[in-house]
Amino acid sequence: MRRDVVYGAKCTSCEAVSYPAHAVCPNCRGESFEAVEIGGAGKLLTYTDVYALAIDYETRYLRLAIVELEDGRRVTGQLLDDDPKLGKAVKTTIGVVREQGGREILGLQFVPA
Amino acid sequence: MNPVYVAGAGMTNFGRSEWSLIKLASVASLSALHHANLGEIPIDAVVVANMGAARINHQTALGSALVDQLALYPAAAEAVENGPASGASAVKVGVQAIAAGMADAVLVTGVERMRVVNGLEGTDFVASLSHPEAEYIYGVTLPSLAGMFARLVMDRFGVERKHLAMVAIKNHENGTKNPYAHIQQTVTMEGILTAPEAIVNNPPIAEPLHLFDCCPVSDGAASIVLVSEAIAERLRCPKIRVAGIGQATDTHAVHEREDPTDLKAVRLASQAAFSMAGIGPSDVDVVELHDAFTILEIAESEAAGFFPRGEGHLALERGETRLDGRLPINPSGGLKAKGHPVGATGVAHLVELTWQLRGEATGRQIEDASVGYACNFGGFGNNVVATVLRREA
Repeated sequence: MRRDVVYGAKCTSCEAVSYPAHAVCPNCRGESFEAVEIGGAGKLLTYTDVYALAIDYETRYLRLAIVELEDGRRVTGQLLDDDPKLGKAVKTTIGVVREQGGREILGLQFVPA
Repeated sequence: MNPVYVAGAGMTNFGRSEWSLIKLASVASLSALHHANLGEIPIDAVVVANMGAARINHQTALGSALVDQLALYPAAAEAVENGPASGASAVKVGVQAIAAGMADAVLVTGVERMRVVNGLEGTDFVASLSHPEAEYIYGVTLPSLAGMFARLVMDRFGVERKHLAMVAIKNHENGTKNPYAHIQQTVTMEGILTAPEAIVNNPPIAEPLHLFDCCPVSDGAASIVLVSEAIAERLRCPKIRVAGIGQATDTHAVHEREDPTDLKAVRLASQAAFSMAGIGPSDVDVVELHDAFTILEIAESEAAGFFPRGEGHLALERGETRLDGRLPINPSGGLKAKGHPVGATGVAHLVELTWQLRGEATGRQIEDASVGYACNFGGFGNNVVATVLRREA
């Protein structure tokens, strides 16, 4: 497993991909999965500018979003776009989304497509 | 199932408190016990609702601690942690015990002492209920989930910021009529939205939500006494029956829901509660909703079945949910003005409904209210408990 990839879980019985992973497939109740990379092109479903920041952040605000990928799967992440609009075409990238005690955590970020 | 009744209800003031966690719980418990006036009837079990004491107050096993304070030994005791739905979950545990015939009198107390930590730590403690890998690591907090939800609902159903402000204005107004409410201050549309200085008074928290769209962080406790039918008759108190309880869950990560604007767990929990009570939403006289964010009052009022989907804000605009409206919502001031000591909230809902159904909600009494409904919204809607109380003749 690579640190710079966000993984979902593909059920080996029904091939449905879940993100995040579950111990049991929500689609067919299968219990065996293979890891698949999550990301790609999609559109902006919703976003928010958070001013009451979570712990670990020192920016003025954080722009968070939910993106609907082309295959219909949705992901939550950070939006790097100065002109966000609902429905706008975006794509995923991997970047540092948090620093916890000096450790950089990589995750999904969204940029204009 | 044996019928279960609320024999007494009480609470502390919500707000910033100098009292310890267990002192808050004790004071609320005693006020409910005095209200119930049980005399020689023993309390068989104590259930405490709390979300964060292990983390922010460095105290665990709150059921045992409260039994000890109240000298209720050898009563059974436990604590229930179910995020922001801990309160109604604890009530459910008490109701189940009496319904099953395993207890005749149960004390349920919800308590939270949150103001001991700073805002950052408080926000982080509540954010720990979000999905650790798919949400939390991105800086997701409860206000941010509410902000994303609000933007989507507003875009889809034509809800505007003025509607959110109407929730705040109504609930602050109600809160000034409730001596237990954290915020005792009315607000105006000019002050929080339309005047040039509104942006200063009401800064953004998680766009499109601003400060006055969010509940305050509160300390406080609330308590009810549940009893069997035999005891309710012996006490000759108004018979407030726990007519229905429903609970439903949904996906942990909000983005995984089929329709992220659909509060499915509210819908299913409410349907179950109404079905158990044998009534429908149109039979309800008074409602307490979980308005941790103003948008939630609107969305829950639809999901619970009081208004058609996408029309909650229109009912609000018509004044239907005011104290003098057709269906008063949050006469207590709601979480918005009454405050939101997380573990206490679900119990406090039922305290208000009990007072309303007994005709004891001085200053904000809904005339002849006989059926009440409450929605305790846990997680960001992934664990919801709905309760129906009904006054019996």
